[in-house]
Amino acid sequence: MSKPDPNAKSRLISQTELDSWLDGLASKQTLIAPRDVSGVVLYRPVAGSGEILAGVPRPVMSVKELFFPPTERLLRIQKTRTGINVKETLPEDQTIIFGVRPCDARGVRLLDALFLDTAPADPYYARRRANTTLIGLACRELGPTCFCTSVGGAPDDPTGMDMLVYPAGSGFLAEAISEKGHALLADTGWPETVIGGAAPDSTDHFPVPEKGRWLGHFNDDYWMKMSERCLSCRACAYVCPTCRCFSVRDEMLGPGEFERIRCWDSCAGENYRRVAGGHRPRAEKGERLRNRFYCKFLYFPGQIGRSDASACTGCGRCIEVCPVGVDITEVLQDLERLA
Amino acid sequence: MFEPKIVAFLCSWCSYTGADTAGIARLKSPANLRAIRVPCSGRVSPELIMRTFDQGADGVLVLGCHIGECHYDTGNHRAAKRLPVLQTLLSFGGLEAQRLRLDWVSASEGERFARITTEFSETVRELGPVHWRPEGRPRQEESRDLPIPSRTILFQEVDFTLRTEGIRAKARELLTSGQVGCLIGYGTSPRGRTRPAFIYSSEESDRLVWNADCTHNLSGYLVDKLAANQRGHPNENGSHLRIGVVVKPCDSRTINVLLAENQLSREQIHVIGVTCEGMRKEGGGLQQGCVSCQERTPVVYDTLVGEPVHPVRQCSSSQSDEIIAELDKARPAERLEFWLSQFDHCIRCYACRQACPLCNCPTCLYERDDSTYVGMGIGLNEKRTFHLGRAYHLAGRCVGCNECERACPMDIPISLLNQKLAVEIEKTFGYRSGLAVAPSPIVTILSGEYKEG
Amino acid sequence: MNTNPMLPYPGKLVEVRDLAAEIKLLRVELAEPGAETFKGWQPGQFAFVSAYGLGEAPFGIANMSQDGSLLDFAVARLGSVTTGLHELGEGDTVGVRGPLGNCFPMDKFKGKNLVVLGGGIGGAPLRPVIQTVLSQRLEFGSLTILWAARNQSLLVFTDEYDQWRAAPDTRLHLTIDQADPKWDHNVGLITDLLKKVNPSPKNAITVTCGPPIMIYYVTRMLAEMGFTPEDNYVTLEARMHCGLGKCGRCNLGDKLVCVDGPVFNMLEVGNMMETYL
Repeated sequence: MSKPDPNAKSRLISQTELDSWLDGLASKQTLIAPRDVSGVVLYRPVAGSGEILAGVPRPVMSVKELFFPPTERLLRIQKTRTGINVKETLPEDQTIIFGVRPCDARGVRLLDALFLDTAPADPYYARRRANTTLIGLACRELGPTCFCTSVGGAPDDPTGMDMLVYPAGSGFLAEAISEKGHALLADTGWPETVIGGAAPDSTDHFPVPEKGRWLGHFNDDYWMKMSERCLSCRACAYVCPTCRCFSVRDEMLGPGEFERIRCWDSCAGENYRRVAGGHRPRAEKGERLRNRFYCKFLYFPGQIGRSDASACTGCGRCIEVCPVGVDITEVLQDLERLA
Repeated sequence: MFEPKIVAFLCSWCSYTGADTAGIARLKSPANLRAIRVPCSGRVSPELIMRTFDQGADGVLVLGCHIGECHYDTGNHRAAKRLPVLQTLLSFGGLEAQRLRLDWVSASEGERFARITTEFSETVRELGPVHWRPEGRPRQEESRDLPIPSRTILFQEVDFTLRTEGIRAKARELLTSGQVGCLIGYGTSPRGRTRPAFIYSSEESDRLVWNADCTHNLSGYLVDKLAANQRGHPNENGSHLRIGVVVKPCDSRTINVLLAENQLSREQIHVIGVTCEGMRKEGGGLQQGCVSCQERTPVVYDTLVGEPVHPVRQCSSSQSDEIIAELDKARPAERLEFWLSQFDHCIRCYACRQACPLCNCPTCLYERDDSTYVGMGIGLNEKRTFHLGRAYHLAGRCVGCNECERACPMDIPISLLNQKLAVEIEKTFGYRSGLAVAPSPIVTILSGEYKEG
Repeated sequence: MNTNPMLPYPGKLVEVRDLAAEIKLLRVELAEPGAETFKGWQPGQFAFVSAYGLGEAPFGIANMSQDGSLLDFAVARLGSVTTGLHELGEGDTVGVRGPLGNCFPMDKFKGKNLVVLGGGIGGAPLRPVIQTVLSQRLEFGSLTILWAARNQSLLVFTDEYDQWRAAPDTRLHLTIDQADPKWDHNVGLITDLLKKVNPSPKNAITVTCGPPIMIYYVTRMLAEMGFTPEDNYVTLEARMHCGLGKCGRCNLGDKLVCVDGPVFNMLEVGNMMETYL
């Protein structure tokens, strides 16, 4: 569990100073922060600090959508009489995200491990990562479904951030984590201090079963039973900070104009593995849901060479959005107790 | 001058020949008409028309044989019934209703063909270029909020003990006697949330509960569960065990629709109907869908739990009714903006579709591998097409259980679409879905509802 | 070398011919830098072929081409992408991404007796194995080829059978599922043929490719015949979208078919958490 370095130099600032700094950032480039969108809190561009909703439960969607968007154009294809032109379409925008929750930033680091650190690197993800600065906001309190501390995280974990702001008394402590963060902080001129912030105590700890347990219970009937209420709706995967399955297809834009796009998909969906002949492996709901949990705690970590870790960041969004009460913490506890 | 792009679907037997007749007689018809020849106007599916608008048509004209003259007897009945419903839907979505027109032209009516096509072309020209596609729309940073701020209707606490006992007792009886192999009811999670529960033995009956949070429509599990049963081992007499299900009045209407559509047969299920005063929503207050609900007693059941009671409160018009009224009053462009800003944060997860007990196509039309009716992407155009298309597919079927909206992780008020169409269907056909085992009126042939105007 | 692994190399179709019913052989010529990237590709690897405007799909590379400039793909017409590929003609442009996946350990096969079992279009990724063996004939032991299809019109590479038969210490056995008056050879499933041919497991390696159910029954029978699982190689498929280990779709348990495979031996397959069936 990472904690901010107590000896690192933080800057102590007031709400007003923070707000006016954010206003300044927003005036110069795209500033993205949690804000209200028709009654739902999402990471979206803000015009100024007044729109930011930072003191409420984390946004419904994680920051994943800013690096790995729901739909992304990969190539532009033009078919003419003389031939076919194919061009990659890499993203260009520079952005700063303020108010990133530690669970979301951990998710970004896990996606980095897959998209960047595992060859071949994904240039689309890489470009967005390079063009984005993450300013985190530590959590004052844990939500009812949060369990970041059970999976190696913490409400003030700086992993994945460029800069971390954490509540301290009536103000905030701002700390640089990465070089980008140092550069950003250096420009502010805020006074340095060595006071540390206090992270809220976590109440629930859920055991994460070790690898042998997962391997040993793969064929257990438990998976079929616990998934009966599942609707295969995929909401859990879409709000998850680390789920990253995608589909690729060419779509027509106009006569002779096409784009190759990739967009989100999920192994929880019924038709995810359907092949051209019509055969559908994982036809049973239990097989699909089992795959999702196993991927989160076993496969994904294995693919990024981190078998000791889990790809779950404990944000608890899946628990909140599931319409039928499938609960990942319940699964962990059940698995720990299976004979 | 603006030349509208008009796509005209003409049926082989009448209107296409009517077009020829017009041509031979040298009658002037608009040159901007792109004709598509189809065997029958009934073949022109609403999804096809939506696709046509999605691809940039300014107007769509469907011309078929006069009622009573269809080469396939009743093919044009389909068009007569379905297209007005589509028109309502598209208009509600922000497309001017006059951009879609259905009319009848016989093979010899060259003059009529010329007149209708000219009229339509002028109407569309006056409306101007269509602004249906989201591209080119200025980037909307502000969301267009619902015209009426959300309000909470007080939820009145009721004693649920008797009904809980009733359900448990019945479950015990059914499972012990072997009348059902599985019972789908409501249980409580370790976190204290109410959620669907599947029990297989009478010992588990005490897991079942009845309370203010039994919002899920459990009839949605029946078809798949029965199919799974079929894949398992049959009993000695060759039958498969029945499934018991606990339903509220709205859920019970779903069962009637499933029966009407042959998704299951009556003897395969044992329905435990429970009387209901409405369910509580998360955060307190009465569920949206319950506010103006008229039914307190399930419409189909094998066992009734609870006393049929008078409504415990006045059925006021729900907030959805008011929002629909406001949207109806607004201009098409305003409605367009409203829906685009709502669908903007849709993530196309399909939770709405999966939660819906009546969305049970093996492969959803909007999830095809070949992108025939909609692309795969999670863009604004695609999301809107999916939602409007799904609403159309539920016209005359949706019972208003509101599971779609409850399941949506983005709190998008999608059931407004279903409700709008339900009201329209009731107005046009005097029909409310699920009260009896009957098919949706838009898939049957005409029986006096339509008068050629 | 492309820095963008999702950007295909342009390839020209230099030959399109019918291989079997609804199966075509597409021969693609790659210009530089595509050819350079494909140089030295090994039997067992695959590539994504794009029918631009429709999409791309993975195909086993079906020939042995040392300099990477010419690649054969056997394409069965099943969905929108493959239909699009079938509608292309010589001179048309396609996109090619690869080479992807692992390969058959041909070095391990040297000095061994090889039994190659191909079912239907599954024979296509096995052809480079056969061609490698034939081109370095003395480095390998006996070569026994069992080639099967549902019916005669679905047998692939029929015009090469004589060449295979003519090679030293090489036998070719053909079978189709159902009897046909025009068919002189064996009738029956490939497992029936395998029983009849009865190859010895001594110093032998088997390589199987075909529909999942065929792989299942063949490898089961090979085990019964005394072949050890590590010596039975298969090439598996699972629906893929990226082929790079990113999109997560092709996993069989904790193995990704696109990067950990598509070539596996049956010991690995036996240890897999999920079945490929």
